[in-house]
Amino acid sequence: MEEKIQKVPAGESQMPKVAPAKTSESPSKPEKRAFILSSSPHIQAEEDVAKIMRAVVYALLPTAVFGIYFFGWRALVMMLVGIAAAVLTEALLNLVQKKPQTISDGSAVVTGLLLVLTLPPSLPYWMIIVGAFVAIFIGKQLFGGLGYNIFNPALLGRAFLQASFPIPMTTWTMPRTIDAITTATPLGSFKFEKTLTPYLNLFMGNVGGCVGETSALAIIIGGLFLLYKKYADWRIPVSYLTTVAIFGSLFWLINPAKYPDPIFHLFSGGLMLGAFFMATDMVTTPVTPKGSWIFGIGAGIILVIIRLFGGLPEGVMYSILLMNAFTPLINRYTRPKFFGEAKHV
Amino acid sequence: MVKAKTPLYREFTKGLWRENPILRMVLGTCPTLAVTTTAINGISMGLAVLFTLVMSSLIISLVRKQIPNEVRIATFIVIIATFVTVADRTIAAFWPAVSKSLGPFVPLIVVNCIVLARQEAFASKNPVGRSVLDALGMSVGFTLVLLILASIREIIGSGTWFGMQIMPPTYTSWMVMVLPPGAFLMLGMLIAFSNWLNAKLEK
Amino acid sequence: MSKSLRLIVVLTFTALFSGAVLSVLNIYTAPRIELNQNQTLSDAIGQVLPGEKACDVKVIDGVTFYIGRDEKNQPIGVAFLAEGDGFQSRLKILVGMDMALTRILKIKILQQAETPGLGTKIENDPTNKTDAAWFTNQFNDLPVAKAISYVKNQKPVAAESQIQAITGATISSKSVVEIINAAIAKNRELFLKKVK
Repeated sequence: MEEKIQKVPAGESQMPKVAPAKTSESPSKPEKRAFILSSSPHIQAEEDVAKIMRAVVYALLPTAVFGIYFFGWRALVMMLVGIAAAVLTEALLNLVQKKPQTISDGSAVVTGLLLVLTLPPSLPYWMIIVGAFVAIFIGKQLFGGLGYNIFNPALLGRAFLQASFPIPMTTWTMPRTIDAITTATPLGSFKFEKTLTPYLNLFMGNVGGCVGETSALAIIIGGLFLLYKKYADWRIPVSYLTTVAIFGSLFWLINPAKYPDPIFHLFSGGLMLGAFFMATDMVTTPVTPKGSWIFGIGAGIILVIIRLFGGLPEGVMYSILLMNAFTPLINRYTRPKFFGEAKHV
Repeated sequence: MVKAKTPLYREFTKGLWRENPILRMVLGTCPTLAVTTTAINGISMGLAVLFTLVMSSLIISLVRKQIPNEVRIATFIVIIATFVTVADRTIAAFWPAVSKSLGPFVPLIVVNCIVLARQEAFASKNPVGRSVLDALGMSVGFTLVLLILASIREIIGSGTWFGMQIMPPTYTSWMVMVLPPGAFLMLGMLIAFSNWLNAKLEK
Repeated sequence: MSKSLRLIVVLTFTALFSGAVLSVLNIYTAPRIELNQNQTLSDAIGQVLPGEKACDVKVIDGVTFYIGRDEKNQPIGVAFLAEGDGFQSRLKILVGMDMALTRILKIKILQQAETPGLGTKIENDPTNKTDAAWFTNQFNDLPVAKAISYVKNQKPVAAESQIQAITGATISSKSVVEIINAAIAKNRELFLKKVK
């Protein structure tokens, strides 16, 4: 029996240790280590949830710093409030549900931070707390905790806030102003007033918008770090952004006066933040390479349709949430075949 | 009949909790989700269902021995539709404002599963007294849940209850609660809470 | 009685019973329902044509015009229904205008099911404590020689046919403006040509 069991010491070795044949030895010496039965793969990376989440937080730092630079210290307080609310909610729910404490894996920190980065800089603090609570409670813990949630928790929290408090959620302030003059987002002013915003401002982030979505530069720096560390699947941002660019230019070529050009599409709104940090969430996006392509393309098409033909100026949140809902289906239909597997008839 | 052994009062009380149409059987969720934006809508809808259900159960239980099995559903539907029309027209004639806010959901009681289910499962097999008690219990249970759901949604979503301002003027309404997502969320929470309570009570 | 005959008899009796109940019901409720509906419409006409005492109904090319007259039987204005799509529902708006159709007297939203708390402010805005109907009141005595337009974050100029859009409900506000503009453009020609 034992000879054939492969043991994989939990998270310790990089290589599978195959139990040496012990037919000659007497079985009287019992091993102290417990055998762990597991199917392939036997190579385990040294990565764990906490480490990945830490990397995501590092990757979000440039975005957070730009957000604070443009929207002032209030943005920093918002982030702290959001993170604290998310972590506290998770701790509290674990206590109530009598589950092992999971706050140390850092996923609540990421959820709280991401949530605040997608909120308008003038949003009242108590609404941030509501959003973080909904994100963790309904978005994650009700489904069974990290790994079981269908929707991106931060986006779910944001969707709840958007539906609950539409006016504060669409009140934007000018960046770098002391007394918070209201303004419109580039997408909003295009949709309702047909005015374009200079590209440099769009790229740097010197425009009205959510705390962490305005600066394409900062998001790309962090996003590339994540891609380099392979914590995000490059296929999703690439397919998402390319689809938006192609699909967007299609309409632009048809009628440049009515529809914005692809560069405007790419750098305005929350597309960059969504593409690099929301659509790449490991839990709520497809696991197969082909699935990732489908996810990105689908989200891109939905986004352009919402932006051009919907009632709302921006659709990143809904495009990703909708594709999240399709993820189990995509996973199912893009499952790789076993070697030699015959086609089911 | 086996049912004859159940005490009469239980035919009434089972609809309130043990076999509550919404919380236990999850029937008739369409009007439950759609009209519960204000408490007054919730209770009006509940009363319209109460009238329809009690009258249909009464008539069908009276003539249950005459209805051939092959056309029973057609007969039930004609009788139910009659009382739904009575309710709908009466509301439109005497309470036009309520009729306007309930919209198409009063005529839609015809296809409400609770009404047809009680005829099929109960009134067509039981004597008049029991059928009426059963219908009363079911519809009171339905109305109560509608009232609770609608009250929660109206208070959180608009800051009012039966149209009266009960939240302080500084209160910001949680718009999501009067929108469809709020209906699903609150109904889910309500069912979860009742399941939890039920598990506690059975212990 | 044979089986199939019994089915027919039972269903016929059920239908007869149902028909009888409904006819009796109709005798009592139909007049009241009609009264309610007429009441709603004539109330609305009275509201959009201030000072209206009597009303003529004129149908021109399928469009119904309600011409209001004052106590001296002088025509004071004309009302018509403007209909179109809002943000998420069908909007029905009763528009009252002067006889030359150059100025709106008053408008009234007859039917809407916009987003509660946002789009519904076109009819009733409970957050505005002084005037819950401020949005429709902007149309009072609005000159419409040119098409109505809406502005955001600035003061509208009534002489320029401008109104203020509702914050957070731009689409609903825009829809109201567009529906009224379209109806005026269409009805002005129709009415002035046929009536005068």
